[in-house]
Amino acid sequence: MANQRIDLIFSTLADPTRRAVIERLASGSAPVKELAAPHDMALPSFLKHLDVLERVELVTSRKVGRQRICALHPEALAPVEHWLTTQRRIWEARTDRLAAFAEALEDQEQPLIAPGKETRK
Amino acid sequence: MNPELDLELTRIIKARPATLWRCWSEPELLKQWFCPRPWKVTEVTMELKPGGIFHFIIQGPDGTVIDEGAGCFLSVEPERLLSFTDAMGPGYRPRGKGFMTAIVSFEPVEAGTRYHALAKHASPEDRKTHEEMGFYDGWGTAADQMEEFAKSLEN
Repeated sequence: MANQRIDLIFSTLADPTRRAVIERLASGSAPVKELAAPHDMALPSFLKHLDVLERVELVTSRKVGRQRICALHPEALAPVEHWLTTQRRIWEARTDRLAAFAEALEDQEQPLIAPGKETRK
Repeated sequence: MNPELDLELTRIIKARPATLWRCWSEPELLKQWFCPRPWKVTEVTMELKPGGIFHFIIQGPDGTVIDEGAGCFLSVEPERLLSFTDAMGPGYRPRGKGFMTAIVSFEPVEAGTRYHALAKHASPEDRKTHEEMGFYDGWGTAADQMEEFAKSLEN
């Protein structure tokens, strides 16, 4: 379900460490060691965060020699974009209804002023 | 305007700003169009002044009630502009939650009104309930509902 997926991404991004990793990776791929450096936590704890990011596919990693290089996988955010699309649909639909209602309201209140006026849809 | 969080729409509507203002500012009229059937706005409380309450309750066909609590108006300029938020309650009291600020404006043009709506959202992860998402996903087929409603008014 797209909604569960959105939920998962939101909860993933709710954590400041994971957001910081995303921000860092937005400016380019980086080895794990470099990603972990600014964070005041033991490496295994940091690796857990990285694991969460990889599981939701926001981050991918590959081995290069003895290093693991992480990269951002922004396509994983597509369902989140859908969230705004949903908001837009609500507003578009709401405006459709407002327009229809307001136009009908005027047609109702002005029948004597413009009797020959073409009826609006 | 942040394209990832905000949305904007402009529409020419064949009705006067005064009429659109009534549709937004009179609870009984707002109820008629604000949410798509079979959902119903069952209650609207509004005090049309900056800091005044704006609260609505929506009910679904299966009895589901959506009540996001009382927000407030930010600016009220009759027949011109209305803005409100759910991030603050009446009297501008911060709620510690809330998701959106909306600004709708009405400009008279020859064909009627240039209607402009801008909705600014908090970051998506601030949004707490995913039931809402499911609820909103159910809000489709606007054109059908609009047509049905327009017909019911003409009769």
